[in-house]
Amino acid sequence: MALLDIKNLHASVAGNDILKGINLTINPGEVHAIMGPNGSGKSTLSNVLAGNEIYEKTEGEILFDGKNLDDLVAHERARAGLFLAFQYPIEIPGISNMYFLKAAVNAGREYRGEEQLDAMDFIDLIEEKKNVMNLRDDLLERAVNSGFSGGEKKRNEIFQMAMLEPKLGILDETDSGLDIDALRIVSDGVNALRSPERSFLLITHYQRLLDYIVPDFVHVMVHGKIVKTGGKELALELENEGYASWVGEEGP
Amino acid sequence: MNDLQQMRDKAASVFEQLGFPTTREELWRFTDVSALANQEFSNDWSPASVDFLPLGEFYLVFENGKLSPEKSNIGGLPEGIKVGSIMDRADDRFGTLADTQSAFVAANTACFSEGAFIEVADGIELDSPIHLIYLADADGAAFHLRNLISVGVGSTFSVVEEYIGTPGTAYWTNAVTEVFAADNATVDHYKIQRESKTAFHFQTLEAQLGKNAVFSNHAIALGAALGRNDIRGKLMGEGGEAICNGLYLLNEKQHFDTHLFMDHAVANCNSHELYKGILDEKSKAVFCGRILVRQDAQQTDAVQSNRNLLLSRGAKVHSLPQLEIYADDVKCTHGATIGELDEVALYYLQTRGIDPARGKAMLTYAFANEVLNEMKSTPVRTYLENLVHEWLEKVSG
Repeated sequence: MALLDIKNLHASVAGNDILKGINLTINPGEVHAIMGPNGSGKSTLSNVLAGNEIYEKTEGEILFDGKNLDDLVAHERARAGLFLAFQYPIEIPGISNMYFLKAAVNAGREYRGEEQLDAMDFIDLIEEKKNVMNLRDDLLERAVNSGFSGGEKKRNEIFQMAMLEPKLGILDETDSGLDIDALRIVSDGVNALRSPERSFLLITHYQRLLDYIVPDFVHVMVHGKIVKTGGKELALELENEGYASWVGEEGP
Repeated sequence: MNDLQQMRDKAASVFEQLGFPTTREELWRFTDVSALANQEFSNDWSPASVDFLPLGEFYLVFENGKLSPEKSNIGGLPEGIKVGSIMDRADDRFGTLADTQSAFVAANTACFSEGAFIEVADGIELDSPIHLIYLADADGAAFHLRNLISVGVGSTFSVVEEYIGTPGTAYWTNAVTEVFAADNATVDHYKIQRESKTAFHFQTLEAQLGKNAVFSNHAIALGAALGRNDIRGKLMGEGGEAICNGLYLLNEKQHFDTHLFMDHAVANCNSHELYKGILDEKSKAVFCGRILVRQDAQQTDAVQSNRNLLLSRGAKVHSLPQLEIYADDVKCTHGATIGELDEVALYYLQTRGIDPARGKAMLTYAFANEVLNEMKSTPVRTYLENLVHEWLEKVSG
């Protein structure tokens, strides 16, 4: 059974139609990349999947792990194993990263009928996961993303993903604004999480990220539709030729 | 006692002249005290049965306005620290700081019969705060409490004033506290106001800082139907630093007013003011922060911020920052916001599996926590964290 099955998805924001019939199937263990120019609807897709209520799904069906996503609001989708790494992670002053993570981890455990982690177990889990992302201890004590550099915020997103162990990780332009060292750390973190059960959807502008996280499929998205699907070599093709030929096909 | 009698007579005539303020007066534009002005108060005394938790080794307990030596504990105070009743005070500066043109101060000076007198000699350090606890449950009573706190050169000292009332009882607390922080002294003053929500609470706090003195005031307000803090800091010596932070948590039809006045009289002083409010139901808050930078007060660094979170459409805030600057080389900033919970932050929490109710509670607590985080005393901070949690549980439940 597919982990994610999107059929004829249409969505709009503030009355503007952005997604115009997306079809996408992701099986367990697969890594898919969606590439496309600015404004093609890539971030809209990730937000619709995560359950951002600013976006309105107007047509189509999304099945995630056998469940219709229409029946689940954002926090229920997260608990069911869907994770979105934000393009611009949100700063939350006054809530420590540790406290936030503990609430998130235990919310997922409660949903799965597992026992709540106590303070000691939680520290053990943190210790186990934090080394992968090279996160400094003081970032864990600090308020969520507050005063973090751009790279630290993105690393923190992947660290959260490692802690929450989702079934599907959606990375919304996680590579934007990262220097080559940070990109490598983030990619290593993602690669460490790859498994036959866990899938990823990488949303990106550039081919660079795909040198580090090698996808099984690459999709080109233009004007709210997937216009071409191929293997990892498609990304290289796009890098050389750009999106111009696609964008021209359906001008505004 | 003659001096005191003279002072009282003078204050009584001032009050007679002024009467209770009305909303026609600039400083009382948004706070109507007619409900208080129209009420009669008695002087009958009864013991108070109100629970309290001492936050330090040493504490004074006042029951319905009267000092209770049995409930207090000031045995074994370190040498150099005197704690007792204001009626046994020995300080010429008594009454010299409090605003003589305030009707509430005048009423207090004319009528007070109890309060705390604290004198800390030079070069003393005390870690544990002195806790002044005012218990109230006498319906129809008025408590004019008067405190004088004097901290000597280079001393470090902290004090907590806590006002606790039994729910449902209606009375009037009218307190005046004068604080003198000598050169190089560090004074932390905490005020916890948990009066009954049917009570009136008014307090004037006046602090004077010497050279390089650091004075901080943390004012937490949870109680009273109608309440007001008048907080006035006077920076009289170079290098002084005043920190005035506050948090008001209001619901039902509570009305709470904070009037801050920071007087930069000399050069090279700092003042920081962070006031936050969370308002639910039909509650109302007034924040007026006036910073006066006099002509000689060059290199003043003054920062003021007032942030409010409204949990209901019926709640209301009047935020009035006022900068009055007569020096030309200073740094003064102020900001005020009135808003609702950050929807984007709430969505972010949801995408991590945290449900909206929990997310709202986390964000609301985080909002308040910024003020609590500034408190140095761990027992006071922990105590207040619990009170804030309890309050949030009540308003969300």
